[in-house]
Formats: sequence, structure tokens, C-alpha cells
Amino acid sequence: MSDKKIKVGVLGAGTMGAGIAQVAAQAGYDTLVYDVSQEFVDRGLDRIKQFLKGGRERGKITAEQESGTLARLSSSLKLEDFAGCGLIVEAVPEKLELKREVFQKLDAITPADALLATNTSSFSVTAIAGAAKKPERVLGLHYFNPPPLMALVEVVQGERTSADAVERAAALLRDMGKTPVRAKDTPGFIVNRIARPFYNEALRILGDGDASVETIDNVMKAAGFRMGPFELMDLIGNDINFAATESLYHSFFEDARFRPSPIQQRLVQSGNLGRKTGRGFYNYGQK
Amino acid sequence: MAKSSVIVVGQSRLAEEMIGLAQAADYDAKLYPDADAAAISSSLVVETSCFGEARKREILNKLDSGSPSAVILTSCLGFSTTRIASWAARPERVVGFATFYPLKDKKVVELAKGLRTDEAALTAAEVFFRALGKEVARAKDAPGLVFPRILSLIVNEAARALDEGVAQAAEIDTAMKLGVNYPEGPLRWADRAGLDEVLAVLEGLYAETGDDRYRPAPLIKKMVSAGWLGEAAGKGFYEYKK
Repeated sequence: MSDKKIKVGVLGAGTMGAGIAQVAAQAGYDTLVYDVSQEFVDRGLDRIKQFLKGGRERGKITAEQESGTLARLSSSLKLEDFAGCGLIVEAVPEKLELKREVFQKLDAITPADALLATNTSSFSVTAIAGAAKKPERVLGLHYFNPPPLMALVEVVQGERTSADAVERAAALLRDMGKTPVRAKDTPGFIVNRIARPFYNEALRILGDGDASVETIDNVMKAAGFRMGPFELMDLIGNDINFAATESLYHSFFEDARFRPSPIQQRLVQSGNLGRKTGRGFYNYGQK
Repeated sequence: MAKSSVIVVGQSRLAEEMIGLAQAADYDAKLYPDADAAAISSSLVVETSCFGEARKREILNKLDSGSPSAVILTSCLGFSTTRIASWAARPERVVGFATFYPLKDKKVVELAKGLRTDEAALTAAEVFFRALGKEVARAKDAPGLVFPRILSLIVNEAARALDEGVAQAAEIDTAMKLGVNYPEGPLRWADRAGLDEVLAVLEGLYAETGDDRYRPAPLIKKMVSAGWLGEAAGKGFYEYKK
């Protein structure tokens, strides 16, 4: 496909940014990675190297695929260098003003047919796109962690995003081996919103004293879920999970359906965030 | 030794499945589409309906006159077990259970005592489900207990998103399977469980708590009114060939 020739830009070399860049480079796209310091860029590229090395050692990819992917990756500390990219995915920290600033700049330096995407999970795509003079080519591409392993990408159409931009982005994602699913620009898009009761109602049942952590997890696994809600919250990190619920709650103007749980808030306040701290709803052995 | 006997009352796929499981476990098991009082005599009756209060109360009344000493296992999807038990002459013998069709792929059945339920009745319920090859989990008394309650709320949110035009049904299901590893998309899952059963849980929780978070999605209410109950009806969020 002719789109193969476009160059992909990724802004932000954190966990998500590095993963998104890896997906593009692995699919044969020349990929340029940006961050604010060489240190951050190097850390991101190193993450990709480790990921690919692990994949090669487990026989998932060949040595040629590994070296080819790395050869297609380059980096820059200057946004101006992204003027030649046909698709730019922004994965900078979740601060609305910062994101708007980035899109204002991108809008000014790129040709009108370049696709500008945000990987935001907590802001509306429309709010970010509003910073661009040509918001019809601004859209959301919401990848899941870790991007190289998760097939799903939510393609989010802001109020002023053109159908053509959505179409072209979906085609690019399919070419990168992803499964794009279109979503309207609504809080939490599809997954973060619909998955909320899995965590929130489990917390409510626990809070009401209706069943224990262990019983709830066991019952949910016995019904087919791969992990119980409390195991999963501990894996995600209760700070991250609580923040996601709180953000959705406010985005829906305090709708009772998304009301966060005081139990999880206490856990976050206590510093028992889950696996990463050695303790959450379960004890994993203090770190 | 004489076979243990059980009577299953109901017209759902769950009722039929339970008869099959009970017979396979060597129970003398009989299915009654409704609680025809004269026909019923057994030490254990499983009542599987998710009807509203009037019809459910009628079933409990018939069981009172038809099998006054049996332990009654009643589906507590739509009401607390305490509430259902209050419609029986002897609430001590009423135990709540909560599950969605199909039982065959579930390892655990959840049980609850009402405030007045005897421990002996709950034990009898546990013996029955264990004989069917299930583990049992005890939960405190609330409509839908754990799994049906959590799944119904996920379905409710998916139905709202669908109704708002966030995405198509198949896209919502794909996103949930790929994004958070659900074994089944919530809308497809609801079609299998039955939208009437899902609505019963939501309405039960809404009535019991008065909390807005349980307010059923208008789309689910309309679909149930239209008879689009899911797989068993040939149409739900998806179409099925009968």
C-alpha cells in the first residue's frame, strides 16, 4: 500500500510512546521519536531495544526483524523535525495545556493532509483538536498498554474530525497489524467507560459487606474473566485505577454510575498501591 | 438407597439446563413450567423465574400450599432473598441463588440467606449444587449477588454507549474482548443470559437501594418490552437463527 511510505512521528518516549513507536517501526515505517531531553529519548529507545531483544530470545521475531526495526527508528529533540511525518501520535504527559500547545505547533509546521493524533485517555479529543486551525485532521488514537502486544486501538472522532481522517488512520493501523475500533469522542471512549463497573461495582459489593475480596475474585474468574477485579486493580495500580475512575466521574458531571469508592481512596492514601508496592488488596510481600 | 428428588419450576433455558444437570447427578428430577401446586411434592424445589413481584409472589404462594416442607431455592436476581422469603408462609426454608444461563461454563454458584433463612436450608442448597458439580460461594443478601450484579452493570453501560452512538454493538464487543480481555463481549453476553434477566438485576438493585447508579438503560427496557430478549428469542443486540 502506498501509505507505507509515510513517515511516522511519536511525541513522548515514555511507556506508551515507546510502545507506539515500536509498533510503527516493526511494521516497516520509518519512525521518529521526540522527547524533551536526550535522557528521556534514550530511555524510550532502550525500552524498545529490551522489548525486541526479549521477543527475539523467545523466538517471536527474527534477528533481522529486530535489527530492521531498530534501523527504522530515529529521534529528535526538535518538533520542527516532524514536519515531514504523515502521521504524528502524541503521547506526552496527560496535561491539557501541554497537549494543546503541542497540537498548535504541529498544526503550524505540518502539511494539511498530515494526520495528527493524540493518545489521551482522560481528555476529550475535541478539546485538544481545538488548538489546531485545521481540527479536521486531528483525531484520537487510543492504544492499550503495552502497545506492541495489545491489538486494539480506539480511533476517536472529535466533533470536527473528518471521516476521511478516521478512515486513513484506521487503514494505517490495520497495516500495522492492529484492530482499529471507531468511537465517538465521549468520556472514556469505549473500553475505559464500559469496564468501569467491573472495578467499581466490585468495590461497592465489598464496601457493602456483601462479599469478601477473595470471594468476589473467585466468583468472577469462575464466570470466565481472566482475572478478578481486585487482582486486576492491584496489577494496574490502585492509584492509576482510582484516578481513571475519578476522571470519568467528573467528565460525566458526577453521574452516580461512576462514583469512586472510598475504600480504594483509602488504599491509595495509605500507599498500598498494589503489586508495585508489594501490597494492595492482597499482600505480595512488602518491597 | 432411594434417589434424592428435586423439582425445578420455570420455563427458561436455565431451568431446562438445571434438570439435565440434576438428572446427570442421579437426581429424580422433574421440570414444571409453572408452580402447579397439586403436582409438586419433593424435599427440594428450585424456582428459576426472574418475574416481577406479582408473578413471583404467586409462585411462592403455590409452593406454600403444594410443598409446604420443601427447601425452596429461588432465583434472587431481581429481589433480595429476604424480600422473596417474605412472600412465603415459612421464610426459614427459602434460599436465594444467583447465576446466569448457561450454568455449564460456570464453576461457582452463588447463594444467599435471607435474614430469616435457616442455616439448614442453606446447607441443603449447598449439597444440591455440589452434587451438580458446582462450587458454592456465599454472599450477603442483595439482588443479583456478585457475578450477575457486576455483569449487569457492565451490560447497562455498554447499552448506554450503544444507544448514545459511541460505537456499534459488534465494535463495542470487540473493544472489550481485545482491550480488557473479556471472555465475551458484554452485549453478546447479555444476549445469552437474557435481557429480561439483566433488567431484573438492574431494577432490583435500583428498587432496593434507590441509588441512581443502577438506573436501567432505556434501551434495555425497550428491548425487553419489544420481546428482544436475546439468543432464546432470536433477537437481542444481535440476530440469531432459530
